[in-house]
Amino acid sequence: MATRAACLVCQIIENKVPSKKVYEDELAMAVIDVNGSNPGHCFVMPKNHYPILEQVPDAEIGRLFNISNRISSAIFESFGAQGTNIFVANGIPAGQTVAHFTINVIPRKENDGINLQWQPKQMSEEEISTVELKLKEQTKNLGFEKEEEKKPRIHAKKPVVLSDEEEEYFTKQMRRLP
Amino acid sequence: MAEQNINQEQLQALQEKLKQMSPEELREFQKKQCIFCQIVANKVQSRKIYEDDGVLAILDINPANPGHTLLLTKEHYSIMPQLPDEEIAHVFKVAKSLSNFMLKGIDSHGTNIIVANGIAAGQRAQHFMVHVIPRKENDGINFALPQKAMEQKEIEAAGDRIIAALSGGVKEEKTEKGASLDEISKLLGVK
Repeated sequence: MATRAACLVCQIIENKVPSKKVYEDELAMAVIDVNGSNPGHCFVMPKNHYPILEQVPDAEIGRLFNISNRISSAIFESFGAQGTNIFVANGIPAGQTVAHFTINVIPRKENDGINLQWQPKQMSEEEISTVELKLKEQTKNLGFEKEEEKKPRIHAKKPVVLSDEEEEYFTKQMRRLP
Repeated sequence: MAEQNINQEQLQALQEKLKQMSPEELREFQKKQCIFCQIVANKVQSRKIYEDDGVLAILDINPANPGHTLLLTKEHYSIMPQLPDEEIAHVFKVAKSLSNFMLKGIDSHGTNIIVANGIAAGQRAQHFMVHVIPRKENDGINFALPQKAMEQKEIEAAGDRIIAALSGGVKEEKTEKGASLDEISKLLGVK
């Protein structure tokens, strides 16, 4: 799914595939994941088609993660969640399944079957120092894009009402998700 | 940690004391207890990757993969809802750069960005942080987000609850002044 026309997320954004929207502004949209890991699991995505994190402009990064944070707070309030995860899979080895940058906001409870833990990797002192030096060498160049940033405005959209026909199409479409 | 050895009575006394603290006092109390605040203050050693006025990035001592980086706010926040908007924007711009540097500098083929709010979400320390984890094919990490099929009705209901909380419940003060005492106490309760 390299192009916008073939991108399922772009189709959701353009309303060609119906979805349950919880938030929308001119740059971003948030919808309920129909195959969520827990009820209330949301996707936050930029309206522009950026396949990976590195392509998202800084100004949009700020907005997208602030929206994610608002939704995370809303989940705490309305789902009695014991926790929330903000999760990004960037690239196929990281578990990315759709070629459109998305942020997962996931309500959590004890023993809910979600695993975001890891077994620590054993590394030698030399390996650690090497990776430290390599990353430090890179971060010397860290700078930010100059762009005026707008504050996200949270305003809930009216619920989207789907016809039976649309609903059926939606379900079919989402099953095609990898 | 020392607190693990206290008895029930002491725990109750502590919780009572915590309840009576103002949010400012509570934050000061937490700061003193917080290992990551000590790292920020250079009282505890770490391998620093990047630092500016707002954030510090260090190598995780228990990495999921080589290069696994913890991105901390210098200010002490327990959970993400306590961060002001500007700090969230700054933190994740740095996270994006770190992700990019991992692709360029240490031959990573992808990255995961993870925030855990609350113990049930896997949070272990009382200091807000972002994990930036470099990934490769077959690296032995098995994150699992099981898919649960939801009825259209459930989807609607879940969405409506979030919409209601966003439009009614999301107040500017909430993010500025921080999470409720209950949320903080919950975090403290297990530590």
